Amino acid sequence: MDMSRGAEHDTRPAAGPYSLDERDRRWALVRQRAAEAGLDCVFVPLGNGIDGRYLSQYRSACVVLPTDSRPPIVIIDSFADRAARNDWIPEPRLANRAWGDAMTRALRDAGMERARIGVVGLQGGTVSHARSPDGVVVHGVYEEVTRRLPHATFVDATDVVGFSRYVKSVEEIACLTQAAAIAEGAIDEMIECARPGVDLGVVYARVVQRLLALGSEYHPLAMTAGPLGAYRATRYTNPPHGKMLEPNTIITNEVTAIVGGQNAQEDQPILLGPIPDEWRRVVDLQREVFEAGLERMRPGTGIGELIDFVNGYGEKRGGKTLMLMHGRGLGDDGPLLSPRVRGENVRDVPILAGTAWVWKPYGMSADERIQFVWGGDVVVTETGGKLLFKRPHGLVSLT
Amino acid sequence: MDGGVPRGFSLAERDRRWAAVRANAAAAGFDCIFVPLCLDPINLNLSPEQARGTRSDCRYLTGLDNAAVVLPTDGRAPIVVADRDNSNAWVSEVRAANRRSWAPLMVEALRDAGMERARIGVSGLRNGTVSHVRTTSGVVNHRAFAEVRRALPNAIFEDGTDAVGFARYRKGPEEIAALRNAARIAAAGLDELTAVARPGVAVTEVYGRVVGRMLELGSEYYPLALDIGPLDGEQHRHEDPPIGMTLAAGDLIINETDAVYLGLIAQEDQPIVLGPVPEAWKPVIELQAELYHMGLELMKPGASFAEITRGVAARAERAGMQGWSMLHSRGYGNDGPLINTQDGRQDRTTGVQVEPNTVWMLKPSAVSADGRIKFRWGGCVLVTEKGAEPLVSRIPGLVAIA
Repeated sequence: MDMSRGAEHDTRPAAGPYSLDERDRRWALVRQRAAEAGLDCVFVPLGNGIDGRYLSQYRSACVVLPTDSRPPIVIIDSFADRAARNDWIPEPRLANRAWGDAMTRALRDAGMERARIGVVGLQGGTVSHARSPDGVVVHGVYEEVTRRLPHATFVDATDVVGFSRYVKSVEEIACLTQAAAIAEGAIDEMIECARPGVDLGVVYARVVQRLLALGSEYHPLAMTAGPLGAYRATRYTNPPHGKMLEPNTIITNEVTAIVGGQNAQEDQPILLGPIPDEWRRVVDLQREVFEAGLERMRPGTGIGELIDFVNGYGEKRGGKTLMLMHGRGLGDDGPLLSPRVRGENVRDVPILAGTAWVWKPYGMSADERIQFVWGGDVVVTETGGKLLFKRPHGLVSLT
Repeated sequence: MDGGVPRGFSLAERDRRWAAVRANAAAAGFDCIFVPLCLDPINLNLSPEQARGTRSDCRYLTGLDNAAVVLPTDGRAPIVVADRDNSNAWVSEVRAANRRSWAPLMVEALRDAGMERARIGVSGLRNGTVSHVRTTSGVVNHRAFAEVRRALPNAIFEDGTDAVGFARYRKGPEEIAALRNAARIAAAGLDELTAVARPGVAVTEVYGRVVGRMLELGSEYYPLALDIGPLDGEQHRHEDPPIGMTLAAGDLIINETDAVYLGLIAQEDQPIVLGPVPEAWKPVIELQAELYHMGLELMKPGASFAEITRGVAARAERAGMQGWSMLHSRGYGNDGPLINTQDGRQDRTTGVQVEPNTVWMLKPSAVSADGRIKFRWGGCVLVTEKGAEPLVSRIPGLVAIA
């Protein structure tokens, strides 16, 4: 649906920028994986808003998707989505706040009383809900559903939807590309307004304002600001008022923009002063590992192989480098690879064509005193990682 | 405090909250209050208010955005679990899950507090009387909580939502100061909306400007809700910036403009029309102002919600129109009770009274006799001994931008 003010003057939410073909592609992928896992249906219960959105475009939907190609039953809350309708699911059921009852009825109507039901979001997945080891399912209603369907078998199926989400379609990559451009527009705003004497809270507000004005959904802007070389600066995800920027402050950031639900993140450090020579060497090292990693980000490469390459790259060059990347998509995408989360459990997961990542490896001095992270969104192609953003590599110096 | 604006909550405020929760827990016969791992606001996003409310109890008790809490009733300090060791001035020690399941740490916390055979009040297990009111299924993470119950088979787990909820319901002076500041910020957001909303302007630009202004003044983010459409037609709601949409002459912009200060949410609502106010609307708007002022008078300590809703309806009826009440408590999110005679929503109000130092969103509607014209305006009010008073001074009415 065209969101511009056309003749019909209609502002009803559509299915975002996605076509019906995209809907059918997603459903078919999920059904295929569910069938391979021996499931009679995939069940997205209350609490798993991200996967509900993937399958229905509603913000907080419950979904029963039979494996046998019948259309899904989708439940929304009449107040939650404000009685919205979209062309993916023109006639969702309304929960009217009685979610346990609505979910049980949906499973019964789909003939799942004695079925093998794959529950999505019951625990953290390999490539989705990566930061939620305990899953995202609401206890009260899930317990009610399982109690009322005592002959059904409920098993975790987070990866069934997760691996469907893992490889992006053309439409999803278009959204990510647009989101990355918005994030870069917001970085321009940060570069424009970050100066010594300016309140960091004002900078924060201006950047978020820019993100929203360019059409992003909201995602918290993450920033740190501290003296160059300070070991660890405080991370802010809300406006930090009363903190005035000073000369030689380094601002690091994770600027996330969202289009069509797709989260793009761009990271652009900014220094309020000249770049010391010892930092230039680390910035150069980070650029090298960034480019070399991009080159190796080819379909079929195992994540373990890429981790080893990145983590070993710096030492041969008199510094240190560490893996920092994670999947991109509708949110909480994985695998998540960072100095804290080494990815031992995902080493065998292959990097596939069409997977999207925020790629931002660490470059460090040998003594780890200087640490530099720069990066953004990439999509994997046959020839390696392709940037979804345009700005040049480096530490922005505002003098 | 800085010019009447608190920069953070004091230790005295922390102790006041813990004491209030302990007293409620003791009265309910609980040995402790347990706030388990709760859902995140992205995944349980039934509405901005419900999303904000998912992890409201842990923030109330610890100042942390996401934490599990075991607060013994007997006066011992709480044990706090979080993903990282992000201790703060209120909580000097945090047990960190470090991206692993929280269940083992929650079990350990309950065991360390001696709760293996205790009666444990679980907050957020279901909707409460004055908190988590819209979330009938509760906000508790299934997997982690189920594991806790399995590991502690001799403990009794019961719903303890109201033990925390009624502590949250009655605001302390620091909370009222924070809410007053939030209301001021929301009002400034409305000023920005009035300044920028013009025919031909992109709604994304309007959205960004209003939110940016509130963040600049110290608010945390809360989705701005804009219902936009022709004055004589249907308005559709947007809780994110709608790409490609521009304002048109004659549009009515209804809004819920929320600002969040130190976690506490204030809302101010100011309808705007991009054109003149039609004559037929004027008596409805005038009646709405009367209903609002009447609501302020009726909201005295001890008043019942039935008295308020009846009074509003009767006044409107005398004017040959309809009057709908809409009020709900304010706080960390998803506060209640929610009373909305327009759509029939009325939460449980048994045992709830309008009390001094409770803070409310008051926004009654006036509706023309034929039901064609509906007008709602309102904002946050504080209940005092004499009735309710607005937290920020504004004048009811429809702003016309010609």
